[in-house]
Amino acid sequence: MRQKILLLLCCLGMTGALFAQQTVTGSISSESGEPLIGVNILVQGTTTGAVSDLDGNYSITVPGPETILNFSYTGFKPVEEAVGNRSTINVTMEEDIDVLDEVVVTALGFTQKKDEMGASSTAVNSDDVQRSGESTLINGLSGKASNVRIGRSNGDPGAGSTIRIRGANTIQGDGSPLIIVDGVPLNNSTTYGGGNNITGGRTGGISQQSRLNDLNPNNIESMQVLKGASAAALWGSRAANGVIVITTKEGAAGKPKINYRTSLSFDYVNERIPMQDTWGQGRNGSFRSGIAESWGDYIPDRAGGEDLFDTSGERFIAENGTVYYPIDEKRSRETFVDENWDQAFQLGGFQQHDLSISGGGDKGTYFFSMGRLDQEGIIRESDYDRTNVRFNNKLFLNDWLTLSTKSTYTNTASNRIQQSSNTAGLMLGLLRTPADFDNRDYIGTYVDEDGVETNLRQRSYRRPLGDRQNPTYNNPGWTVFEQLSTTDVNRFVVTPQLTITPASWLQVILRGNADISDDKRVYFFPIGSGGDRNVGIFAEDIIGRQEYNMDAIAKGTFDLTSDIDLTTTVGWSINDRNYRRNSGRVTGFLVNARKETSSLNTANENTSFENFRTFQRSNRGYGVLNFGIFDELFVNLSGGLEASSTVEGTFFYPAADLAWNFTNSFITPSETFSFGKLRLAYGQVGVQPAPHRAQTLAEGSFSYSSYSDPVSIDLFGGGFRLDDDLGNPNLQPEIKTEWEIGADLRFFKDKLSYSVTYYNNEITGILLNTSLTPSSGFDTQYGNFGTMENQGVEMDLTYSAINKRDLSLDINANWARNVNEVTALAGTNTIVLPGGGGSVSSNAVVGEQLGVLFGTGSLTNPDGSFDLDENGFPQLTSSPVVLGDPNPEWRGGLGFNFRWKKLGLNVLIEHSQGGAFSPRTLWVLRRFGTTMETANRITLDQTLVNYDGDEIAAGTTVRGNIRDFGAGPVLLDETWYRHGIGGGFGDNQAYNFSIKDATWTKLRELTLSYRIDGPGFRDATPLQGITISATGRNIININNIDGIDPETNAGGVGNSLGLDYFTNPQTASFLFSLSVDF
Amino acid sequence: MIKYIKTLLLSSLLFFTACEGLVEGINDNPNDILISDIDARLFLTGAMLANAQAQVGHLNRIAGMYSGQLVGYTSLYSNIYGFSLSTVESNGVWSRVYVGTIPNVRHIRSQVPEDNLLVGITKVIEANAIGSAALIFGDVPYTEVNNPEIEDPKFDDQISVINAAIDLLDEAISDLAGASSRTLSEDIYFEGDANKWTEAAYTLKARYLLNLRDYAGAYSAALNGISSEAGSMKYIPRGSPDIAEGDKNMFWTIISGSRTGDIGNKGSFLLNLVDPTNPDSRNNAKTDETARHGYYTIEDQSAASNEGIIQQFEPQNMVTYAENQLILAETAARTTDFGTALGHLNDLRAWLNTGSGVNANFQDQPYLYEAYTADDFTDGGIENTDGIDPTDALLREIFEERYVSGFGMYLPFNDTRRLRVSDPNLDVPFTMNNGPTPPYAERLPYSFDEINSNENAPEDPGIFAKTPVNQ
Repeated sequence: MRQKILLLLCCLGMTGALFAQQTVTGSISSESGEPLIGVNILVQGTTTGAVSDLDGNYSITVPGPETILNFSYTGFKPVEEAVGNRSTINVTMEEDIDVLDEVVVTALGFTQKKDEMGASSTAVNSDDVQRSGESTLINGLSGKASNVRIGRSNGDPGAGSTIRIRGANTIQGDGSPLIIVDGVPLNNSTTYGGGNNITGGRTGGISQQSRLNDLNPNNIESMQVLKGASAAALWGSRAANGVIVITTKEGAAGKPKINYRTSLSFDYVNERIPMQDTWGQGRNGSFRSGIAESWGDYIPDRAGGEDLFDTSGERFIAENGTVYYPIDEKRSRETFVDENWDQAFQLGGFQQHDLSISGGGDKGTYFFSMGRLDQEGIIRESDYDRTNVRFNNKLFLNDWLTLSTKSTYTNTASNRIQQSSNTAGLMLGLLRTPADFDNRDYIGTYVDEDGVETNLRQRSYRRPLGDRQNPTYNNPGWTVFEQLSTTDVNRFVVTPQLTITPASWLQVILRGNADISDDKRVYFFPIGSGGDRNVGIFAEDIIGRQEYNMDAIAKGTFDLTSDIDLTTTVGWSINDRNYRRNSGRVTGFLVNARKETSSLNTANENTSFENFRTFQRSNRGYGVLNFGIFDELFVNLSGGLEASSTVEGTFFYPAADLAWNFTNSFITPSETFSFGKLRLAYGQVGVQPAPHRAQTLAEGSFSYSSYSDPVSIDLFGGGFRLDDDLGNPNLQPEIKTEWEIGADLRFFKDKLSYSVTYYNNEITGILLNTSLTPSSGFDTQYGNFGTMENQGVEMDLTYSAINKRDLSLDINANWARNVNEVTALAGTNTIVLPGGGGSVSSNAVVGEQLGVLFGTGSLTNPDGSFDLDENGFPQLTSSPVVLGDPNPEWRGGLGFNFRWKKLGLNVLIEHSQGGAFSPRTLWVLRRFGTTMETANRITLDQTLVNYDGDEIAAGTTVRGNIRDFGAGPVLLDETWYRHGIGGGFGDNQAYNFSIKDATWTKLRELTLSYRIDGPGFRDATPLQGITISATGRNIININNIDGIDPETNAGGVGNSLGLDYFTNPQTASFLFSLSVDF
Repeated sequence: MIKYIKTLLLSSLLFFTACEGLVEGINDNPNDILISDIDARLFLTGAMLANAQAQVGHLNRIAGMYSGQLVGYTSLYSNIYGFSLSTVESNGVWSRVYVGTIPNVRHIRSQVPEDNLLVGITKVIEANAIGSAALIFGDVPYTEVNNPEIEDPKFDDQISVINAAIDLLDEAISDLAGASSRTLSEDIYFEGDANKWTEAAYTLKARYLLNLRDYAGAYSAALNGISSEAGSMKYIPRGSPDIAEGDKNMFWTIISGSRTGDIGNKGSFLLNLVDPTNPDSRNNAKTDETARHGYYTIEDQSAASNEGIIQQFEPQNMVTYAENQLILAETAARTTDFGTALGHLNDLRAWLNTGSGVNANFQDQPYLYEAYTADDFTDGGIENTDGIDPTDALLREIFEERYVSGFGMYLPFNDTRRLRVSDPNLDVPFTMNNGPTPPYAERLPYSFDEINSNENAPEDPGIFAKTPVNQ
């Protein structure tokens, strides 16, 4: 086993003197006799190599009979041959079915044998990610590794997703793991703010992207998830959330390999809220046009036929000429639930094209790829286009110097649709629309009673004639077709690396990296958009990020004694991160035009400019010692000393792990029990404080609002206030200390492998904005104020059930449970998590798991029953309380990979058990009376009391439901849902009744694929092979919530969870792809 | 081999010693400005905006609903109208008082202790903010607030806080006496007019003394109080009509944004009272409120339709001439004599009779505020049809006028609670139309943020608990 590492090291190294030369030739074939093309043949200890040709033949010049040749080929076990006196060496290579034999790419980008590691890690097969059919990389990871939760906030194309490894690791900070691509950290930020705040930021506005999705999934060679602190400790204060190590593809010596791959996906809305179509717009059982709610008349009781109109005065003329008049009498029984839905939604999808060319020779290798993705969302007018170009090359300059460069350019362009808590958002206007209102004519001319015409007026169900500039809520047509929220990102990532091998035992790496992106965002709300934006708003953000890294690493390998090997790594790294946002805005257009230009109003008082910058630098020195003792006991010790601009002084991050391969000598491996390893690991990792929080300064550009009534200092001549956020000069990194114990076991000749880990961590000094006592004069202070604990168990199992030449079946399963507890919040009891705000919020509460749902609820008696009012209805708590815990009890994934000859079938099922979810959309819609939940029509068989205390006599037919809160049945009617505490807005609702069980099961993926690459095909065509596949993604979705996918997260990318509030829906997809090898 | 390792570790240690130097000086905030670089007066506007929102923002609207002046029709405000409200509703106003106003005005005073004008102004603002807080919440933190040594200020007795506000006003009056007016554009209430600030300080003092039932003291203070409408302290909107929010009438902003139709006053007891066509109208032979009814009517379905009290640019009252006159009238009726009291009331009516009680859009509508005579309050007079004591009849009319003139301020909410105790038979018998029945609210809840973080905070006693001044 150890040999492999040495071999790898030697590949990169060199040996000294050259001897007399001789030539060796031969052919290489698989066990089945097929010639193997492109096998790498290397003279051990040198960079001299050759590659087998189309017939599997090779020829290589070797220094002499002492030479050892190494044959390597992906998917086959390497072969080593001593040359001796032979001039012909024919090799038969054996397929490597033992996937666990792989090496792990460590946090520094080196490889290490998994069986020698004491920390747990999970490899994610890049083919699996590619096959998943997700257009973005992150979502393709779903369900593939235990304890890695991918939370996709909605189905918007290109939307960011939350990645959370081993539960919650921080409270307000970024909980995403550190992404290391080709040895350097990748900026995976999701940026809110700027113009997105026009509509409420995270909880309104639009979904933003994760920058990790700029990577083309087709360029990835391998992904490794390092979950524990010990494996990540070298990255110090950036590694608290775990590390995902990604290696991009490189070329292999040989003639050019050309691959073209194309995919075509069809995406559709995976769940729809059941809407009622029996009750009309209005209140108290009678129809009223323009009213917010659908608590009107019973539609089947209407007279039928055309409505009666008042055609004498004002009217609305739609673009298609249809004229709308005030309704005198509502007669029509027509409803428009589906028509209104289809106005905004469509069958979305994408097509993706990828072309890659790779190859190389003695002097170097190359990998070139171009990719293009064109995606249209399930919401009309939403899109996401991505163009990727990558060129990775490696030059063997001489025997001891290798220069490689990995470089990539990405452009993404996207239009996103306004969502969530936002009157100009899509679902809010759509789902509140009464069944008897036709949204389709959304724009036209309003003519008032005097005949005065106003063009480009919005018609909405609250303003059926477009008689006002403010439609109150947007018509979905307006949201989709008239507003714009675009983003255009250009990004370059370049990673040059020089590898120096001055001696066989020493390797020095000098690595640089620049990751530069700019994101241009445009928000455009024409005159007549919903809410405050009805005057017209155009905002533009230019967001620039630059991240630079320099690394110097030296790695030495020694045999301390015959039984003890030592690998030492010492390194130094510096990282520089700059962020800059420039935002400009024009509020109130003079001209009702659709052009995104500041010329719409150039008056000084209508335009504003704002900038925001951050700088951060850190540097680390680190060292690693890997001891291998008797090939049985492996000890890895590492430490990093870090200094960061945001912290006073330096911090040391230690880690240690131990792996004991007890089937080496302690127990003799058998047919049944083939391998066993115990692992023990300990480590400390951290989170850097946010930049620029040390000082208490003066703040300008603030505004005050007590409830939708903002006043802004900028509009009163400018000015300052003492920052209400108290500065903190004593910031320290947040420290996570974790230990874990686990075992990797393999049975039945390695056919079944099982890995289990128990981990326990404590996070101290958690950085958060604590709520100060307002009367002290400050609202918040950022500092090391929280502590939290996690413990959990994770298991991964793979079973190669059938492994025959023409038939194979692999089963893999993963399962994880994490238990978290917030143990202290320094002086405050609860903190709202970023993005988790709202009347039901996702909070940190002392003594609870992170993210608990928090809001006003119902008073209870000591025995847990409701403390009811005199009518038998629940009463409101005076302050918010914990309503439920959105964290699942456990999560698991189950996959099957079946192959029969060239036909493959892959299935992946993911399950999340337990937890709470608050679909506040449904709660609010109770007030609006548009959902099926509120459509029930019953004839009472007993006299019942409603929320207002009115007695409704037996025999009465009413709209409502009957429920017993503990004091006998009561009637839940309009008084409960519309103006009581049983449906609606604000901090004054019995939200305990909004909580649902979040359990879900999804058929994440079902793929059928077929490969054509037989000899006949190759002879008849210029092609090497073709793979065609069809994938269904998320096509079966089982959960307990009507019409809302509990994976949805209204808070977007972040630590909050369990909330939905008019969030854009999730998708399911069918995907077809074709891959051609030339 | 060990030698190699040592060498490597030692060389890395050299890096470590260098590494702190590489990151120094980068963490200074590039976005915000040092407090010491900023003139003290530049903190004034922000503090005044914060105070304005504390006076006429969300809690003021809730107080209006709880005194029959406003109605919550839908969404959040309908819940609150039905007495379903949580401590979260008070977060905004509480923070405006304790974070937005007090620390900033104190900072100004600490920076320019010799500038009598700024010192006086900031004391009046602080007294306005803390006094309002004490009146609506009850016991509130004050003596220990804004002290860097104290994380969790204790809650002080309501009466002691009101008295502290009065003391601060006395100091302000003295400071302002030694100040001269100067153009101060940062002063968005009075533009640096020392006399107006002095008068406002006296009226506030009179307000607090009245609530402490020191009628003689209140009368005396009010004699130096706001003497003309030009001296009323208001939040004055400004800016471009194209900009919907940020510098407009805050009630207009609510209606113009996403809260259209949520709150208004149609159907309220107040609007019925001033509606000449309503059976509950207060119109009589000497009074025609048609113009004021029009001016007061809130078009809740469309902000743009409002021409009156919540028109986009309509100033919002905080401390007014009318309030001062009515304090004089009430306290004179209680302490001096009927005639003096009537005179003060008639002064106000004379001013109303010039059309000054409404804005220009309503001055062409009918209004009449003829002077009352003593006979109008004797048994059988137009203000005493039920034959009560004439002074009581006069007080009843003064209370009613306070209830009407005080629209948009905390005054009606403070009065309903005060008079419910002292003059239960003369108090305006308001009802919350289409809303809950008595008992009505006696206070507003503490802020959830304060309760959540302050270890010294009491449990919120609920909105039906009477505060000490109204026991």
